[in-house]
Amino acid sequence: MNNHFSKVLTVLALSLSMAGCQRPWAASPSLGTTDVPVDKTLSADPQLEAQISPYREEVTQKMSEVVGTAPVALVKGEYESPLGNFVVDLQLAQAEPLYKKPIDLSLTTNGGLRVPLPEGEITTGNIFELMPFENELVVLTLKGETVKQLFDYAAEKKFAPIGNATYTVQNGKATNIRINGKPFDMGRTYTLVTSDYLAGGGDNLNMLKDAVQTERLGLLLREAILQQIRQLAAAGKPVTAETGKRVTILP
Amino acid sequence: MRRRDFLKTTIAGAAGVSLLGMPFTAEAAQRITLTILHTNDQHSRIDLFPDDGRKYGGMGGMARRATLIEQIRKEEPNVLLFDSGDIWQGTPYFNFFGGELEYKLMSQMKYDAATLGNHDFDNGLEGLEKMLPHARFPFLSANYDFSNTILQNRFAPYKVFEKQSIKIGVFGLGIELAGLVSQNNYGETLYLDPLDTAREMVQELRQNQQCNLVVCLSHLGYKYDDGKIDDVTLARQVEGIDLILGGHTHTFLDQPEVVRHASGHETLVNQVGWSGIFLGRLDFSFSKKTRQKTGVRTAAVPVNRPVTTS
Repeated sequence: MNNHFSKVLTVLALSLSMAGCQRPWAASPSLGTTDVPVDKTLSADPQLEAQISPYREEVTQKMSEVVGTAPVALVKGEYESPLGNFVVDLQLAQAEPLYKKPIDLSLTTNGGLRVPLPEGEITTGNIFELMPFENELVVLTLKGETVKQLFDYAAEKKFAPIGNATYTVQNGKATNIRINGKPFDMGRTYTLVTSDYLAGGGDNLNMLKDAVQTERLGLLLREAILQQIRQLAAAGKPVTAETGKRVTILP
Repeated sequence: MRRRDFLKTTIAGAAGVSLLGMPFTAEAAQRITLTILHTNDQHSRIDLFPDDGRKYGGMGGMARRATLIEQIRKEEPNVLLFDSGDIWQGTPYFNFFGGELEYKLMSQMKYDAATLGNHDFDNGLEGLEKMLPHARFPFLSANYDFSNTILQNRFAPYKVFEKQSIKIGVFGLGIELAGLVSQNNYGETLYLDPLDTAREMVQELRQNQQCNLVVCLSHLGYKYDDGKIDDVTLARQVEGIDLILGGHTHTFLDQPEVVRHASGHETLVNQVGWSGIFLGRLDFSFSKKTRQKTGVRTAAVPVNRPVTTS
């Protein structure tokens, strides 16, 4: 403390002479940086550490909780993939009871699915790694033309899995679009379940900002994934993806 | 960088001393200093970021912040500690314990007040109500009307703190919840215009409560391009606030933004990023005689050095 004080005095004395000739006094605030880093030069407060410790142990334990089992790993891929199909399908399954009506379409992007689901036991920690973001599920009502733009986007980018629909990619455009088994009708609106992130134009899905209606479901995507896997496990079912052909690519 | 800040601040401080023509100690005896420490958007970051090469890896951590705060409390006579919202959401600690640990640790650090961020509604009004008993500090909220909810009468709009006869009036402002938070989660909470509310608060705190310093804890966000109300707009359009401690936009400011009003009154806007990577610090000085604010320093001098035991 003494040492520090004398250091301050020395600098004060030094700067007095400098200040005298260089800096006129102004009544405005003297602004240096306000940020004091919380870094490794600081030791952890033992009292707080003791309080955190049991919670930390429980977090670690819960993250290693097994929620389900996958006979094969669910991986990402172009257009449609085990992981992409699994997520868009569960978005529909988990959203519909909250929305209380059938939903026409489901969308995710590969960028939002951070890691594959591993073969074997799936832990809560795996799901946090797959979906670390606090993204919430929303239901958008889209005009026919917006839906067409969305399918063209999916056909061109190859990284946007769509659920409850099939289509053909021809010359980089989506053709022969069928939604819930019926031919796509440009003249009507469709509902789409996706994350609030993508609904806001994330991954350049700018057409989604033209939604005529946005309804939040109050359910995080990560929570929806966990619920789906827990429900499968409770029913004695493995974690698998539906593999029916969804996207046909013409040369 | 730190050294430059150190010198800059010291030079300005020294110039003030020389102009007053008083020795250092005599000048110091005439003033009262108030140290304001603050965080925003802690996002349940209890533990430090893993030191794995990521940005801010190895930084943050609430137990370390407690050490830093305790150290400053030992050095400074008058310390106030505030948070500007979004205490919750972002790590499994929140998912598993609903915010209990965050409130407990902030209580241990002796936070003086906080305001509500949008993510503090993530477990609904019920989730918030359930956790409030763990917080031994008040949440200040002037522009949310909870009258028609289970949280009616649970939040004061402002609180007046007194430190060595200096009165510090602190009020809270929150962001519009519609479109940002699911309505299931905020229910019948009404959002009131932040500018009108702030004007009322300034009137109340300056005229009726006779405060010497007015501080706003805001979760409005620093600055937007689309005309949405932000901290800079608030600073420009409402005169009489000395300091706006912001949040929501996770903005790292190298130094506070100063908004000067025609009357000469200055409003500072500050924000310290997110996740408790930094602790914000501002040191105000007041004349002992008039209790008027005489200056503010945001020097990192006494705190930006390694902890030593000597």
